[in-house]
Amino acid sequence: MLRKKTNWGRVCALLCCALLPVLVLSCQRARGGSSSGKKMIILGIDGMDPDLLTKFMAEGKMPNFARLSQQGSFRRLTTSIPPQSPVAWSNLITGMNAGGHGIFDFIHRDPKNFQLYFSTSRVEGPKHSWQIGNWVVPLGSGSADQLRHGKAFWEILDDQGIPNSIYRIPANFPPIAAKGKTLSGMGTPDLRGTYGTFTFYTDDATAAAGAVEGGEVVQVEVKDNRVTSNLIGPGNTFRKDSPPATEPFKVDLDPLEPVARVSFQSQQFVLKEGEWSGWTPVEFQLMPIIGNVKGICRFFLKQAHPRFQLYVSPINIDPANPALPISTPASYSRDLAKEIGEYHTQGIAEDTKALSDGVLDDKEFLEQSRTVLSEHRRAFDAEFPKFHDGLFFFYFSSLDLNAHMMWRHTDPSHPAYDAALASQYGTALEEFYQQIDQVLGEVLAKIDSDTTLLVLSDHGFAPYRRSFNLNTWLLENGYIAVTSGAPSDPNEPFAEVDWSHTRAYGLGLNGLYANIRGREREGIVDSAQADALLREIRQKLLEVRDPKDNSQAITRVDLASEVYQGQYARTGPDALIGYNRAYRAGWKTILGAFPPDIFEDNSNPWSGDHCMDYTKVPGVLLSNRKIDAETPALTDIAPTILAHFGIAKTRDMKGQSVFGPH
Amino acid sequence: MFGSHKVKIEGELLEKVKQCSDVAGYESVDEFVIHMLEKEIKKIMPPEESNTSKEDVQKRLRGLGYIE
Repeated sequence: MLRKKTNWGRVCALLCCALLPVLVLSCQRARGGSSSGKKMIILGIDGMDPDLLTKFMAEGKMPNFARLSQQGSFRRLTTSIPPQSPVAWSNLITGMNAGGHGIFDFIHRDPKNFQLYFSTSRVEGPKHSWQIGNWVVPLGSGSADQLRHGKAFWEILDDQGIPNSIYRIPANFPPIAAKGKTLSGMGTPDLRGTYGTFTFYTDDATAAAGAVEGGEVVQVEVKDNRVTSNLIGPGNTFRKDSPPATEPFKVDLDPLEPVARVSFQSQQFVLKEGEWSGWTPVEFQLMPIIGNVKGICRFFLKQAHPRFQLYVSPINIDPANPALPISTPASYSRDLAKEIGEYHTQGIAEDTKALSDGVLDDKEFLEQSRTVLSEHRRAFDAEFPKFHDGLFFFYFSSLDLNAHMMWRHTDPSHPAYDAALASQYGTALEEFYQQIDQVLGEVLAKIDSDTTLLVLSDHGFAPYRRSFNLNTWLLENGYIAVTSGAPSDPNEPFAEVDWSHTRAYGLGLNGLYANIRGREREGIVDSAQADALLREIRQKLLEVRDPKDNSQAITRVDLASEVYQGQYARTGPDALIGYNRAYRAGWKTILGAFPPDIFEDNSNPWSGDHCMDYTKVPGVLLSNRKIDAETPALTDIAPTILAHFGIAKTRDMKGQSVFGPH
Repeated sequence: MFGSHKVKIEGELLEKVKQCSDVAGYESVDEFVIHMLEKEIKKIMPPEESNTSKEDVQKRLRGLGYIE
C-alpha cells in the first residue's frame, strides 16, 4: 500500500495558524489580557483637600479640576479610621477597613514583646549566619514581607484577565505578585532599611554630631581645602555587630570661589554652592569579591565657605539595580529608569526631616520636593501614552508632603508662622496643586468616551498647631503607673512603666490600647472589663479642654469593636483617638514617651496634618461620570473598579460602586 | 553542619512555579521556592524576637516625618 507522503511543512503552517490566536490570547492573559474595551484611569493624589481644592478652583487657579467638577462630579470622600495614609490606601486597595486588611496605623506593636514595626512591611536581615572571626556569613537571605492582608483590587483584575498598571500605590512594598506593571511606593525603605536617613557633613563645631531625627550629622575637617569622609550605607551583616558599610569620598574646595569638586568611587563632579548633583550611583562593598550592594544618592553643596556644609540624600535603592524587590516585573523599575532616568525609590521621597531638623531650609526643601514631582511627571508622561486598555492607576505624593511642611506659611495662627517666610513661600502649596491640575489637563485632553476617570485622595488636611500627649494624660489620670513616681527619661518609650498597675497606653498616631491580660506581655485588664474601661476613658477624653483657649482637643473616640469588621479587628488598637482640627498626638507620645505637659505648641515646620477625627479631614472624589453615592468612602473604590469591569465585589468588601443606585 | 535536601518539582507545578517566580520578580526559581518555604515555616513556627534591635527599629521609624 502506498502511503501518502505527509507535507510536514504545510501541517506546521496550518497548526500555527490555528494556534496563533490561542497563543496571542495566552500571551495577553500572561500580561493582563483584554477588558473588552472598558477603560479606567485613576489619579491617586495623596492628601488633596476638598476645601483647598474648592478655594483654588473658585480663584481660577485649577481650571481642569473646575471643568471636571462641573461636567462630571465632585464629592467629599470619607476617609479611613484613622485617617493615615497606610490605613487609607489599604482601605482603597482591598475594599475593607482595618479589621479586614490589618493596617491600623503607621506603627504597630507585637503585644508579646513590644517590638515596634512599620505597619505595612517588614525588612529583616538573615536569621542565621556563620561567624569567622569578625566576618559573618549569612545563611539564607533576609526577607522583605508585605504585611497588608486581603486581596488587592488589581489581583482580582489579574484573575479576570483585565490589564492594569499600578504606579507607586502606598502599602505595596514589597510589591505583591502581579501580571501588570507595578512600582512600590510608600513603605519602600532606603538602602539602609530606614524610611529616609540623610547625612549632613559640616566642619561647624557647634553642630551636634551624631544622629538627628531622620539623619546623621558628621563632623569633618577642612584641611588644605580638602574634606575626606565616608558615605554611610546599610548595616554590613557580613561583619560582626553589623557596622554600617562605608565608602570614602573627598571634596576639594576652591579656596576662593564657592565651588567644590566631589570625588567618589570612579566619579567626579563639580558643584557650586546651592547646587544639587544628579543621581550618583554608589556601590557598598560588604564582603570582598562576593558581597556588594548598589544604591543611588544626591549631593547638595549647601555651603562651601566660610563653613563647609554638604547634604547627602538618603541612599535610595537603585531602580536600575534594585537590592530589594520594588517592581513587577522585576525588570520594570530598570526599564523605567532607562526611559526617564534614575528616580527616587524611597517610599516617602520628600525629605521632610531635613527641613524639620533645619539641615535644609524652605527653599532647599522645595527644590528637592519639586525634583520628586518632576520625576513623577516624567514617569507619568512615559507611562500614560502606553495605556490603551484596562486600568491605569497613578499616584502623586506632592500635595501631602508639601501640605505637611508648608501649612504654617498660610496660617498666621500657627506657632511656627513667620511673616517673612510666609511672604516667600505662602503660595508654594498652591503651586503644587496647580501642577496636579496640569497633569489632569493632560488626561482630559486624551480621554475618550469609553474611559471612566476617577481622581481621588486618601484624606484631606488640617492645621497641626497643638500637640496632645496621650500617654502623659493617661499617666496623670491614673491609667498608667510608673515605678519611680516619674519617668527618669521622658523620651524613652514606656520608661519605667509599672505594667502590673497600668490599664491602658497610647501607641502610634491615633491608637489607644487596653493592657489586656492574656494578650499583652504584662496585661492586667480582664478582657470582659476592657469595654467598660475604654468607654470610661472615651468619656473623659471627650471632656478634655485645652487650657490655652478652652478648645475641645478630642472630638471623637471610636472603639475598634464599633468600627472594624474582619478577622483582624481585634489585633490593632482598642480605640482610635479622633483629634479636633489643629490637634494631633504629640511627637514623643507616639512611640510611648511621657513629655512633662499634656498640651504643647507644635513649633515644628511639620505644621499641617490629617491624623485626626476622620470626619474632619475627608478626601476628594471626582469623576467624568455622575457619582450617585452622596457620601462615598474609600472602601467603595475597589467595588467601583470591579463593577466597571463587570466583576462582582468579594464578600469581604464593605462598600459598593459609587455609580448606580444606592 | 545543616545538611541539604533535594526536592523534585516537575510538570505543571514546575511551570507554574517558574511563571510565579518570574512575575513576582525573583532572581531564580530556587530563590522563590526558598522564600515561600520560609514564609510557611514562619506561620507554623513563629520566629523568636527579631534580630533587629528595638533601638534600630525606633531609629528607622523616626525617619518617618510623622514621628520625632
